[in-house]
Amino acid sequence: METTLSFVFALMDRLLPFSFAEPSFMKRAILSILLTAPAAAALGVPLVQHRMAFFSDAVGHSAFTGVALGVLLGVSPSWTMVAFGAFVAVAIILVKGRTDLSSDTVVGVFFSTVVALGIAVISREKGLTRNLQAFLYGDPLAVSDTELLWMAGVFLLVCAFLALLYNRILLLGIHEGFARTKGVRAQAVEISFALVVALVVTAAIRAVGILLVTALLVIPAATARNVARGAASALWISVAVAVLSGFSGIVASWYLDTATGATVVLAAAACFALTALYRAAVKRR
Amino acid sequence: MNGKEHRHTLEIRNLAVRKGGVEVLSGIDADLRCGEVTALVGPNGAGKTTLLLAILGQVPYTGEIRFCRAAEHGEGAPKIGYVPQHLPLDPDAPVTVLDFFALSSQRRPVFLGASRRTRESARQSLERAGVGHLLHRPMGRLSGGELQRVLFALALRDAPDILLLDEPVSGVDVAGEELFCDFLSQVQRNSRFSLLLVSHDLSVVTRHADQVICLNRRLVCSGATTEVLTPENLAAMYGTDAHLFRHAPADGHGHLHEEGGK
Repeated sequence: METTLSFVFALMDRLLPFSFAEPSFMKRAILSILLTAPAAAALGVPLVQHRMAFFSDAVGHSAFTGVALGVLLGVSPSWTMVAFGAFVAVAIILVKGRTDLSSDTVVGVFFSTVVALGIAVISREKGLTRNLQAFLYGDPLAVSDTELLWMAGVFLLVCAFLALLYNRILLLGIHEGFARTKGVRAQAVEISFALVVALVVTAAIRAVGILLVTALLVIPAATARNVARGAASALWISVAVAVLSGFSGIVASWYLDTATGATVVLAAAACFALTALYRAAVKRR
Repeated sequence: MNGKEHRHTLEIRNLAVRKGGVEVLSGIDADLRCGEVTALVGPNGAGKTTLLLAILGQVPYTGEIRFCRAAEHGEGAPKIGYVPQHLPLDPDAPVTVLDFFALSSQRRPVFLGASRRTRESARQSLERAGVGHLLHRPMGRLSGGELQRVLFALALRDAPDILLLDEPVSGVDVAGEELFCDFLSQVQRNSRFSLLLVSHDLSVVTRHADQVICLNRRLVCSGATTEVLTPENLAAMYGTDAHLFRHAPADGHGHLHEEGGK
Protein backbone atom coordinates (compact mmCIF):
# COMPACT_ATOMS: atom_id res chain seq x y z
CA MET A 1 0.00 0.00 0.00
CA GLU A 2 2.79 2.39 1.00
CA THR A 3 4.90 1.41 -2.00
CA THR A 4 2.02 1.79 -4.47
CA LEU A 5 1.32 5.29 -3.24
CA SER A 6 4.98 6.35 -3.18
CA PHE A 7 5.28 5.06 -6.77
CA VAL A 8 2.23 7.14 -7.77
CA PHE A 9 3.65 10.17 -5.97
CA ALA A 10 7.00 9.79 -7.75
CA LEU A 11 5.14 9.58 -11.04
CA MET A 12 3.23 12.74 -10.19
CA ASP A 13 6.52 14.55 -9.48
CA ARG A 14 7.57 13.73 -13.05
CA LEU A 15 4.24 14.69 -14.63
CA LEU A 16 3.56 17.81 -12.56
CA PRO A 17 6.86 19.62 -11.97
CA PHE A 18 5.11 22.64 -10.42
CA SER A 19 5.45 24.18 -7.01
CA PHE A 20 1.81 23.59 -6.08
CA ALA A 21 2.20 19.84 -6.66
CA GLU A 22 5.27 19.50 -4.44
CA PRO A 23 3.76 18.96 -0.98
CA SER A 24 2.40 15.43 -0.51
CA PHE A 25 -0.92 16.79 0.84
CA MET A 26 -1.39 18.49 -2.55
CA LYS A 27 -0.62 15.24 -4.34
CA ARG A 28 -3.23 13.50 -2.21
CA ALA A 29 -5.73 16.27 -2.92
CA ILE A 30 -5.16 16.03 -6.67
CA LEU A 31 -5.48 12.25 -6.60
CA SER A 32 -8.61 12.32 -4.47
CA ILE A 33 -10.33 14.76 -6.81
CA LEU A 34 -9.16 12.99 -9.98
CA LEU A 35 -10.49 9.68 -8.64
CA THR A 36 -13.87 10.83 -7.34
CA ALA A 37 -14.87 13.68 -9.67
CA PRO A 38 -14.75 11.75 -13.00
CA ALA A 39 -16.51 8.74 -11.42
CA ALA A 40 -19.24 11.02 -10.09
CA ALA A 41 -19.49 12.84 -13.44
CA ALA A 42 -19.88 9.59 -15.39
CA LEU A 43 -22.66 8.39 -13.07
CA GLY A 44 -24.18 11.86 -13.32
CA VAL A 45 -25.19 11.32 -16.95
CA PRO A 46 -27.72 8.53 -16.25
CA LEU A 47 -28.54 10.20 -12.91
CA VAL A 48 -29.69 13.36 -14.69
CA GLN A 49 -31.57 11.24 -17.23
CA HIS A 50 -33.39 9.57 -14.33
CA ARG A 51 -34.09 13.00 -12.74
CA MET A 52 -32.38 11.80 -9.58
CA ALA A 53 -30.34 14.89 -8.65
CA PHE A 54 -32.41 15.34 -5.50
CA PHE A 55 -31.85 11.66 -4.68
CA SER A 56 -28.06 12.09 -4.69
CA ASP A 57 -28.46 15.17 -2.50
CA ALA A 58 -30.46 13.12 0.03
CA VAL A 59 -27.82 10.39 0.03
CA GLY A 60 -25.15 13.06 0.52
CA HIS A 61 -26.97 14.53 3.50
CA SER A 62 -27.49 11.08 4.98
CA ALA A 63 -23.71 11.05 5.43
CA PHE A 64 -24.19 13.70 8.10
CA THR A 65 -26.29 11.23 10.09
CA GLY A 66 -23.95 8.35 9.24
CA VAL A 67 -21.02 10.25 10.75
CA ALA A 68 -23.01 11.17 13.84
CA LEU A 69 -24.07 7.55 14.34
CA GLY A 70 -20.47 6.39 13.97
CA VAL A 71 -19.27 8.75 16.68
CA LEU A 72 -22.20 7.77 18.90
CA LEU A 73 -21.51 4.03 18.48
CA GLY A 74 -17.75 4.44 18.73
CA VAL A 75 -17.17 3.09 15.20
CA SER A 76 -15.08 4.84 12.55
CA PRO A 77 -17.42 7.50 11.09
CA SER A 78 -15.97 6.96 7.61
CA TRP A 79 -17.48 3.47 7.54
CA THR A 80 -20.82 4.26 9.16
CA MET A 81 -21.16 7.10 6.66
CA VAL A 82 -20.77 4.69 3.71
CA ALA A 83 -23.03 2.05 5.25
CA PHE A 84 -25.76 4.50 6.20
CA GLY A 85 -25.59 6.20 2.78
CA ALA A 86 -26.03 2.85 1.04
CA PHE A 87 -28.91 1.97 3.37
CA VAL A 88 -30.73 5.25 2.68
CA ALA A 89 -30.18 4.92 -1.08
CA VAL A 90 -31.67 1.42 -1.24
CA ALA A 91 -34.50 2.34 1.15
CA ILE A 92 -35.55 5.26 -1.07
CA ILE A 93 -35.62 3.05 -4.19
CA LEU A 94 -37.61 0.32 -2.43
CA VAL A 95 -40.18 2.72 -0.98
CA LYS A 96 -40.46 4.64 -4.25
CA GLY A 97 -41.35 1.42 -6.10
CA ARG A 98 -44.13 0.61 -3.65
CA THR A 99 -46.09 3.84 -3.44
CA ASP A 100 -47.97 6.06 -5.83
CA LEU A 101 -46.19 9.15 -4.47
CA SER A 102 -43.90 10.99 -6.85
CA SER A 103 -40.24 10.19 -6.40
CA ASP A 104 -39.26 13.70 -5.26
CA THR A 105 -41.86 13.45 -2.49
CA VAL A 106 -40.41 10.15 -1.28
CA VAL A 107 -36.88 11.56 -1.45
CA GLY A 108 -38.02 14.68 0.40
CA VAL A 109 -39.45 12.60 3.25
CA PHE A 110 -36.21 10.60 3.57
CA PHE A 111 -34.05 13.70 3.23
CA SER A 112 -35.65 15.52 6.15
CA THR A 113 -35.95 12.39 8.27
CA VAL A 114 -32.26 11.49 8.07
CA VAL A 115 -31.12 15.08 8.64
CA ALA A 116 -33.46 15.37 11.65
CA LEU A 117 -32.04 12.12 13.02
CA GLY A 118 -28.51 13.45 12.54
CA ILE A 119 -29.29 16.72 14.31
CA ALA A 120 -30.99 14.86 17.16
CA VAL A 121 -27.91 12.66 17.66
CA ILE A 122 -25.49 15.59 17.46
CA SER A 123 -27.47 17.73 19.89
CA ARG A 124 -27.21 14.93 22.46
CA GLU A 125 -23.48 14.41 22.02
CA LYS A 126 -21.75 17.69 22.73
CA GLY A 127 -18.40 18.13 21.07
CA LEU A 128 -19.46 16.24 17.97
CA THR A 129 -19.65 19.35 15.81
CA ARG A 130 -15.88 19.51 15.49
CA ASN A 131 -15.89 16.05 13.90
CA LEU A 132 -18.60 17.03 11.49
CA GLN A 133 -16.87 20.12 10.17
CA ALA A 134 -14.54 18.02 7.98
CA PHE A 135 -17.51 16.18 6.47
CA LEU A 136 -19.75 19.19 5.94
CA TYR A 137 -17.22 21.23 3.98
CA GLY A 138 -14.83 18.47 2.94
CA ASP A 139 -11.09 18.84 2.77
CA PRO A 140 -9.12 17.06 0.06
CA LEU A 141 -5.92 18.36 1.66
CA ALA A 142 -6.57 16.12 4.68
CA VAL A 143 -7.34 12.88 2.82
CA SER A 144 -5.50 9.89 4.31
CA ASP A 145 -3.75 7.08 2.41
CA THR A 146 -6.49 4.61 3.37
CA GLU A 147 -9.12 6.98 2.06
CA LEU A 148 -7.20 7.38 -1.19
CA LEU A 149 -7.13 3.62 -1.69
CA TRP A 150 -10.85 3.44 -0.92
CA MET A 151 -11.46 6.14 -3.55
CA ALA A 152 -9.41 4.15 -6.07
CA GLY A 153 -11.49 1.08 -5.27
CA VAL A 154 -14.74 3.00 -5.80
CA PHE A 155 -13.34 4.41 -9.04
CA LEU A 156 -12.70 0.89 -10.37
CA LEU A 157 -16.12 -0.25 -9.23
CA VAL A 158 -17.77 2.61 -11.13
CA CYS A 159 -15.81 1.66 -14.28
CA ALA A 160 -17.00 -1.94 -13.98
CA PHE A 161 -20.58 -0.85 -13.29
CA LEU A 162 -20.65 1.45 -16.30
CA ALA A 163 -19.16 -1.22 -18.57
CA LEU A 164 -21.77 -3.78 -17.53
CA LEU A 165 -24.93 -1.80 -16.91
CA TYR A 166 -24.68 1.60 -18.61
CA ASN A 167 -26.97 0.69 -21.52
CA ARG A 168 -29.60 -0.78 -19.25
CA ILE A 169 -29.59 2.05 -16.72
CA LEU A 170 -29.88 4.66 -19.48
CA LEU A 171 -32.67 2.79 -21.28
CA LEU A 172 -34.49 2.49 -17.97
CA GLY A 173 -34.21 6.25 -17.57
CA ILE A 174 -35.82 6.78 -20.96
CA HIS A 175 -38.85 4.49 -20.61
CA GLU A 176 -39.26 1.88 -17.91
CA GLY A 177 -41.96 -0.18 -19.61
CA PHE A 178 -40.03 -0.28 -22.86
CA ALA A 179 -36.78 -1.16 -21.06
CA ARG A 180 -38.53 -4.08 -19.37
CA THR A 181 -39.61 -5.51 -22.72
CA LYS A 182 -35.94 -5.42 -23.70
CA GLY A 183 -35.16 -7.67 -20.74
CA VAL A 184 -33.99 -5.00 -18.30
CA ARG A 185 -34.68 -6.12 -14.74
CA ALA A 186 -35.76 -2.70 -13.59
CA GLN A 187 -35.55 -2.99 -9.83
CA ALA A 188 -32.25 -4.90 -9.73
CA VAL A 189 -30.64 -2.36 -12.06
CA GLU A 190 -32.08 0.57 -10.14
CA ILE A 191 -30.92 -0.73 -6.77
CA SER A 192 -27.39 -1.43 -7.99
CA PHE A 193 -27.28 2.05 -9.52
CA ALA A 194 -28.43 3.58 -6.23
CA LEU A 195 -25.73 1.65 -4.36
CA VAL A 196 -22.96 2.77 -6.70
CA VAL A 197 -24.18 6.37 -6.46
CA ALA A 198 -24.13 6.06 -2.65
CA LEU A 199 -20.54 4.76 -2.72
CA VAL A 200 -19.36 7.57 -4.99
CA VAL A 201 -21.20 10.24 -3.02
CA THR A 202 -19.76 9.07 0.30
CA ALA A 203 -16.27 8.76 -1.18
CA ALA A 204 -16.42 12.24 -2.70
CA ILE A 205 -17.65 13.81 0.54
CA ARG A 206 -14.10 13.69 1.92
CA ALA A 207 -13.04 15.88 -0.98
CA VAL A 208 -15.86 18.39 -1.43
CA GLY A 209 -18.12 17.93 1.58
CA ILE A 210 -21.76 17.03 2.15
CA LEU A 211 -23.02 20.44 1.05
CA LEU A 212 -21.38 20.31 -2.37
CA VAL A 213 -21.17 16.64 -3.27
CA THR A 214 -24.24 16.66 -5.54
CA ALA A 215 -22.49 19.26 -7.68
CA LEU A 216 -19.88 16.68 -8.73
CA LEU A 217 -22.64 14.46 -10.14
CA VAL A 218 -24.96 17.05 -11.60
CA ILE A 219 -22.89 19.96 -12.94
CA PRO A 220 -20.61 18.01 -15.36
CA ALA A 221 -23.58 16.01 -16.67
CA ALA A 222 -25.63 19.20 -17.10
CA THR A 223 -22.67 20.81 -18.89
CA ALA A 224 -22.47 17.81 -21.23
CA ARG A 225 -26.17 18.22 -22.03
CA ASN A 226 -25.48 21.73 -23.26
CA VAL A 227 -23.13 20.51 -25.98
CA ALA A 228 -23.36 16.74 -26.47
CA ARG A 229 -25.34 15.35 -29.38
CA GLY A 230 -25.27 11.68 -28.48
CA ALA A 231 -24.99 9.31 -25.55
CA ALA A 232 -21.28 8.62 -26.10
CA SER A 233 -20.15 12.24 -26.25
CA ALA A 234 -22.37 13.09 -23.25
CA LEU A 235 -20.43 10.73 -21.01
CA TRP A 236 -16.98 11.73 -22.26
CA ILE A 237 -17.71 15.45 -22.08
CA SER A 238 -19.03 15.02 -18.55
CA VAL A 239 -15.85 13.18 -17.50
CA ALA A 240 -13.65 15.75 -19.25
CA VAL A 241 -15.42 18.61 -17.45
CA ALA A 242 -14.84 16.81 -14.14
CA VAL A 243 -11.11 16.31 -14.79
CA LEU A 244 -10.63 19.84 -16.08
CA SER A 245 -12.56 21.58 -13.30
CA GLY A 246 -11.10 19.25 -10.67
CA PHE A 247 -7.53 19.99 -11.63
CA SER A 248 -7.96 23.70 -12.31
CA GLY A 249 -10.01 24.08 -9.11
CA ILE A 250 -7.22 22.61 -6.98
CA VAL A 251 -4.56 24.77 -8.63
CA ALA A 252 -6.72 27.88 -8.30
CA SER A 253 -7.39 27.17 -4.63
CA TRP A 254 -3.61 26.90 -4.04
CA TYR A 255 -2.98 30.34 -5.46
CA LEU A 256 -6.18 32.03 -4.26
CA ASP A 257 -6.03 30.39 -0.82
CA THR A 258 -9.70 29.32 -1.01
CA ALA A 259 -11.43 26.11 0.10
CA THR A 260 -10.42 23.41 -2.37
CA GLY A 261 -13.74 21.58 -2.74
CA ALA A 262 -15.67 24.80 -3.25
CA THR A 263 -13.15 26.07 -5.83
CA VAL A 264 -13.48 22.82 -7.80
CA VAL A 265 -17.28 23.16 -7.85
CA LEU A 266 -16.99 26.80 -8.94
CA ALA A 267 -14.72 25.75 -11.81
CA ALA A 268 -17.32 23.19 -12.91
CA ALA A 269 -20.05 25.83 -12.65
CA ALA A 270 -17.94 28.09 -14.89
CA CYS A 271 -17.81 25.27 -17.49
CA PHE A 272 -21.59 25.01 -17.27
CA ALA A 273 -22.06 28.75 -17.72
CA LEU A 274 -19.74 28.86 -20.74
CA THR A 275 -21.45 25.94 -22.48
CA ALA A 276 -24.89 27.37 -21.70
CA LEU A 277 -23.87 30.65 -23.37
CA TYR A 278 -22.47 28.74 -26.34
CA ARG A 279 -25.72 26.83 -26.66
CA ALA A 280 -27.82 29.97 -26.51
CA ALA A 281 -25.65 31.53 -29.21
CA VAL A 282 -25.95 28.46 -31.47
CA LYS A 283 -29.71 28.32 -30.96
CA ARG A 284 -30.23 31.94 -31.90
CA ARG A 285 -28.35 31.53 -35.16
CA MET B 1 -56.59 -12.12 -44.93
CA ASN B 2 -58.36 -14.88 -46.82
CA GLY B 3 -56.66 -18.20 -47.31
CA LYS B 4 -54.57 -17.86 -44.15
CA GLU B 5 -54.95 -20.36 -41.41
CA HIS B 6 -56.12 -18.51 -38.38
CA ARG B 7 -54.03 -20.07 -35.69
CA HIS B 8 -53.95 -18.31 -32.39
CA THR B 9 -50.74 -16.76 -31.18
CA LEU B 10 -52.20 -15.57 -27.91
CA GLU B 11 -55.17 -16.70 -25.86
CA ILE B 12 -56.50 -14.69 -22.95
CA ARG B 13 -58.92 -16.43 -20.59
CA ASN B 14 -60.86 -14.86 -17.75
CA LEU B 15 -58.22 -12.22 -17.16
CA ALA B 16 -58.63 -9.77 -14.30
CA VAL B 17 -56.35 -7.01 -13.03
CA ARG B 18 -56.72 -5.20 -9.72
CA LYS B 19 -54.98 -1.94 -8.93
CA GLY B 20 -55.06 -0.56 -5.41
CA GLY B 21 -58.08 -2.72 -4.54
CA VAL B 22 -60.04 -1.60 -7.60
CA GLU B 23 -60.85 -4.02 -10.38
CA VAL B 24 -59.58 -2.30 -13.55
CA LEU B 25 -60.18 -5.29 -15.79
CA SER B 26 -62.28 -8.38 -15.29
CA GLY B 27 -63.59 -11.33 -17.25
CA ILE B 28 -61.49 -10.69 -20.35
CA ASP B 29 -61.47 -13.44 -22.97
CA ALA B 30 -59.74 -12.75 -26.25
CA ASP B 31 -57.56 -14.33 -28.93
CA LEU B 32 -54.92 -12.88 -31.18
CA ARG B 33 -54.56 -14.66 -34.47
CA CYS B 34 -51.55 -15.20 -36.62
CA GLY B 35 -51.03 -12.64 -39.35
CA GLU B 36 -53.90 -10.44 -38.25
CA VAL B 37 -54.31 -6.98 -36.88
CA THR B 38 -56.45 -6.85 -33.77
CA ALA B 39 -57.60 -3.47 -32.52
CA LEU B 40 -58.23 -2.75 -28.88
CA VAL B 41 -60.79 0.03 -28.52
CA GLY B 42 -62.56 1.62 -25.61
CA PRO B 43 -62.95 4.95 -23.83
CA ASN B 44 -60.31 6.56 -21.61
CA GLY B 45 -59.71 4.53 -18.50
CA ALA B 46 -61.17 1.38 -20.07
CA GLY B 47 -58.02 -0.56 -19.21
CA LYS B 48 -56.52 -0.79 -22.70
CA THR B 49 -52.97 -0.01 -21.65
CA THR B 50 -53.41 -2.21 -18.58
CA LEU B 51 -54.27 -5.13 -20.85
CA LEU B 52 -51.08 -4.52 -22.85
CA LEU B 53 -49.05 -4.40 -19.64
CA ALA B 54 -50.64 -7.66 -18.49
CA ILE B 55 -49.66 -9.32 -21.78
CA LEU B 56 -46.13 -7.96 -21.26
CA GLY B 57 -46.15 -9.40 -17.74
CA GLN B 58 -45.64 -5.96 -16.17
CA VAL B 59 -48.75 -5.92 -13.98
CA PRO B 60 -49.94 -8.80 -11.80
CA TYR B 61 -53.15 -10.44 -13.03
CA THR B 62 -55.40 -13.40 -12.40
CA GLY B 63 -56.67 -15.65 -15.17
CA GLU B 64 -54.63 -16.97 -18.03
CA ILE B 65 -52.54 -15.55 -20.85
CA ARG B 66 -51.31 -18.36 -23.08
CA PHE B 67 -48.81 -17.86 -25.84
CA CYS B 68 -49.10 -20.33 -28.67
CA ARG B 69 -46.40 -20.89 -31.22
CA ALA B 70 -47.23 -21.38 -34.85
CA ALA B 71 -45.00 -24.04 -36.44
CA GLU B 72 -43.17 -21.57 -38.67
CA HIS B 73 -42.15 -19.45 -35.69
CA GLY B 74 -39.99 -22.21 -34.24
CA GLU B 75 -39.57 -23.23 -30.65
CA GLY B 76 -39.45 -21.29 -27.44
CA ALA B 77 -41.41 -18.37 -26.06
CA PRO B 78 -42.69 -15.92 -28.65
CA LYS B 79 -40.97 -12.56 -28.93
CA ILE B 80 -43.17 -9.64 -28.01
CA GLY B 81 -42.46 -6.21 -29.40
CA TYR B 82 -43.84 -3.14 -27.68
CA VAL B 83 -44.25 0.39 -28.93
CA PRO B 84 -45.13 2.70 -26.05
CA GLN B 85 -47.55 5.59 -26.35
CA HIS B 86 -44.79 8.15 -26.08
CA LEU B 87 -41.26 8.56 -24.80
CA PRO B 88 -41.02 11.27 -22.17
CA LEU B 89 -37.69 12.57 -23.50
CA ASP B 90 -36.84 16.23 -23.21
CA PRO B 91 -35.58 17.88 -26.43
CA ASP B 92 -32.06 18.22 -25.04
CA ALA B 93 -31.62 14.61 -23.97
CA PRO B 94 -28.31 13.51 -25.51
CA VAL B 95 -29.72 10.34 -27.07
CA THR B 96 -29.74 9.95 -30.84
CA VAL B 97 -31.87 7.48 -32.76
CA LEU B 98 -28.77 5.32 -33.27
CA ASP B 99 -28.04 5.47 -29.52
CA PHE B 100 -31.56 4.29 -28.84
CA PHE B 101 -31.10 1.29 -31.14
CA ALA B 102 -27.74 0.56 -29.49
CA LEU B 103 -29.10 0.90 -25.95
CA SER B 104 -31.79 -1.66 -26.56
CA SER B 105 -29.69 -4.27 -28.29
CA GLN B 106 -25.94 -4.23 -27.92
CA ARG B 107 -23.85 -5.47 -25.02
CA ARG B 108 -21.04 -2.98 -25.56
CA PRO B 109 -21.68 0.14 -23.46
CA VAL B 110 -22.99 2.85 -25.72
CA PHE B 111 -20.27 5.33 -24.66
CA LEU B 112 -17.78 3.14 -26.53
CA GLY B 113 -19.82 3.62 -29.70
CA ALA B 114 -22.39 1.63 -31.61
CA SER B 115 -21.23 -1.74 -32.89
CA ARG B 116 -21.05 -2.30 -36.63
CA ARG B 117 -23.98 -4.74 -36.36
CA THR B 118 -26.16 -2.24 -34.49
CA ARG B 119 -25.32 0.48 -36.98
CA GLU B 120 -26.12 -1.73 -39.96
CA SER B 121 -29.39 -3.12 -38.59
CA ALA B 122 -30.53 0.32 -37.42
CA ARG B 123 -29.89 1.81 -40.86
CA GLN B 124 -31.73 -1.03 -42.58
CA SER B 125 -34.79 -1.02 -40.40
CA LEU B 126 -35.05 2.79 -40.45
CA GLU B 127 -34.85 2.77 -44.24
CA ARG B 128 -37.53 0.12 -44.35
CA ALA B 129 -39.70 2.51 -42.36
CA GLY B 130 -38.81 5.34 -44.73
CA VAL B 131 -36.90 7.32 -42.10
CA GLY B 132 -33.28 6.40 -42.82
CA HIS B 133 -32.30 10.08 -42.59
CA LEU B 134 -33.14 10.18 -38.87
CA LEU B 135 -30.27 7.89 -37.77
CA HIS B 136 -28.21 10.62 -36.12
CA ARG B 137 -31.02 12.88 -34.96
CA PRO B 138 -31.64 13.41 -31.22
CA MET B 139 -34.65 11.36 -30.08
CA GLY B 140 -36.14 14.30 -28.17
CA ARG B 141 -36.34 16.44 -31.29
CA LEU B 142 -38.34 14.05 -33.47
CA SER B 143 -41.89 14.98 -34.43
CA GLY B 144 -44.69 12.70 -33.25
CA GLY B 145 -44.85 10.91 -36.58
CA GLU B 146 -41.07 10.51 -36.84
CA LEU B 147 -40.88 9.11 -33.32
CA GLN B 148 -43.61 6.56 -34.04
CA ARG B 149 -41.82 5.38 -37.15
CA VAL B 150 -38.51 5.09 -35.33
CA LEU B 151 -40.14 3.10 -32.53
CA PHE B 152 -41.90 0.94 -35.07
CA ALA B 153 -38.67 0.35 -36.98
CA LEU B 154 -36.96 -0.66 -33.75
CA ALA B 155 -39.77 -3.04 -32.81
CA LEU B 156 -39.68 -4.66 -36.25
CA ARG B 157 -35.90 -5.03 -36.27
CA ASP B 158 -36.25 -7.60 -33.52
CA ALA B 159 -38.75 -9.60 -35.66
CA PRO B 160 -41.44 -10.02 -33.01
CA ASP B 161 -44.12 -12.70 -33.15
CA ILE B 162 -46.54 -10.38 -31.43
CA LEU B 163 -46.34 -6.61 -31.68
CA LEU B 164 -48.19 -4.41 -29.22
CA LEU B 165 -48.79 -0.83 -30.32
CA ASP B 166 -50.10 1.64 -27.77
CA GLU B 167 -51.98 4.42 -29.59
CA PRO B 168 -49.72 4.37 -32.63
CA VAL B 169 -51.24 7.47 -34.20
CA SER B 170 -51.68 9.70 -31.19
CA GLY B 171 -49.91 12.99 -31.64
CA VAL B 172 -49.41 12.42 -35.33
CA ASP B 173 -50.56 14.83 -38.02
CA VAL B 174 -52.98 13.64 -40.70
CA ALA B 175 -50.32 13.14 -43.38
CA GLY B 176 -48.15 11.26 -40.92
CA GLU B 177 -51.07 9.10 -39.97
CA GLU B 178 -51.71 8.13 -43.59
CA LEU B 179 -48.06 7.20 -44.09
CA PHE B 180 -48.05 5.31 -40.86
CA CYS B 181 -51.09 3.26 -41.80
CA ASP B 182 -49.74 2.48 -45.25
CA PHE B 183 -46.56 1.32 -43.63
CA LEU B 184 -48.51 -0.76 -41.19
CA SER B 185 -50.41 -2.70 -43.82
CA GLN B 186 -47.28 -3.05 -45.93
CA VAL B 187 -45.40 -4.62 -43.05
CA GLN B 188 -48.40 -6.75 -42.29
CA ARG B 189 -48.28 -8.21 -45.80
CA ASN B 190 -44.56 -8.88 -45.65
CA SER B 191 -44.06 -10.58 -42.33
CA ARG B 192 -46.20 -12.99 -40.44
CA PHE B 193 -46.88 -11.79 -36.98
CA SER B 194 -49.90 -10.69 -35.07
CA LEU B 195 -50.41 -7.15 -34.12
CA LEU B 196 -52.41 -5.73 -31.25
CA LEU B 197 -53.17 -2.08 -31.65
CA VAL B 198 -54.67 0.24 -29.05
CA SER B 199 -56.49 3.02 -30.80
CA HIS B 200 -58.88 5.84 -30.16
CA ASP B 201 -59.33 6.44 -33.83
CA LEU B 202 -62.09 4.30 -35.27
CA SER B 203 -61.16 5.27 -38.82
CA VAL B 204 -57.80 3.59 -38.31
CA VAL B 205 -59.53 0.59 -36.80
CA THR B 206 -62.07 0.15 -39.59
CA ARG B 207 -59.41 0.43 -42.27
CA HIS B 208 -56.68 -1.72 -40.80
CA ALA B 209 -57.96 -4.13 -38.19
CA ASP B 210 -59.23 -7.60 -38.95
CA GLN B 211 -60.52 -8.18 -35.45
CA VAL B 212 -61.71 -5.78 -32.78
CA ILE B 213 -61.77 -6.16 -29.03
CA CYS B 214 -64.05 -3.62 -27.35
CA LEU B 215 -63.15 -2.94 -23.78
CA ASN B 216 -64.65 -1.00 -20.94
CA ARG B 217 -63.17 -2.53 -17.79
CA ARG B 218 -64.75 -5.73 -18.99
CA LEU B 219 -65.16 -7.23 -22.42
CA VAL B 220 -67.95 -5.42 -24.27
CA CYS B 221 -67.63 -7.49 -27.42
CA SER B 222 -65.07 -8.89 -29.80
CA GLY B 223 -65.01 -10.31 -33.30
CA ALA B 224 -64.51 -9.31 -36.93
CA THR B 225 -64.29 -5.54 -37.35
CA THR B 226 -67.29 -5.27 -39.66
CA GLU B 227 -69.52 -7.20 -37.30
CA VAL B 228 -68.42 -5.62 -34.06
CA LEU B 229 -68.43 -1.88 -34.69
CA THR B 230 -72.20 -1.48 -34.55
CA PRO B 231 -73.97 1.52 -33.03
CA GLU B 232 -75.25 -0.68 -30.18
CA ASN B 233 -71.77 -1.81 -29.17
CA LEU B 234 -70.35 1.69 -29.47
CA ALA B 235 -73.12 2.96 -27.23
CA ALA B 236 -72.34 0.24 -24.70
CA MET B 237 -68.71 1.34 -24.66
CA TYR B 238 -68.81 5.10 -24.94
CA GLY B 239 -72.35 5.93 -23.73
CA THR B 240 -75.52 6.61 -25.67
CA ASP B 241 -74.42 9.99 -27.02
CA ALA B 242 -71.64 8.54 -29.12
CA HIS B 243 -72.18 8.13 -32.83
CA LEU B 244 -70.07 6.78 -35.59
CA PHE B 245 -70.32 9.58 -38.08
CA ARG B 246 -70.01 8.89 -41.73
CA HIS B 247 -68.06 11.71 -43.31
CA ALA B 248 -68.34 12.58 -46.98
CA PRO B 249 -69.11 9.43 -49.01
CA ALA B 250 -65.71 9.46 -50.65
CA ASP B 251 -64.11 9.40 -47.24
CA GLY B 252 -65.67 6.05 -46.47
CA HIS B 253 -64.63 5.73 -42.88
CA GLY B 254 -65.96 6.93 -39.59
CA HIS B 255 -64.69 8.99 -36.71
CA LEU B 256 -66.10 8.65 -33.29
CA HIS B 257 -67.45 11.80 -31.75
CA GLU B 258 -68.42 12.03 -28.14
CA GLU B 259 -71.00 14.79 -28.00
CA GLY B 260 -71.03 17.18 -25.09
CA GLY B 261 -73.41 16.77 -22.17
CA LYS B 262 -73.97 13.34 -20.71
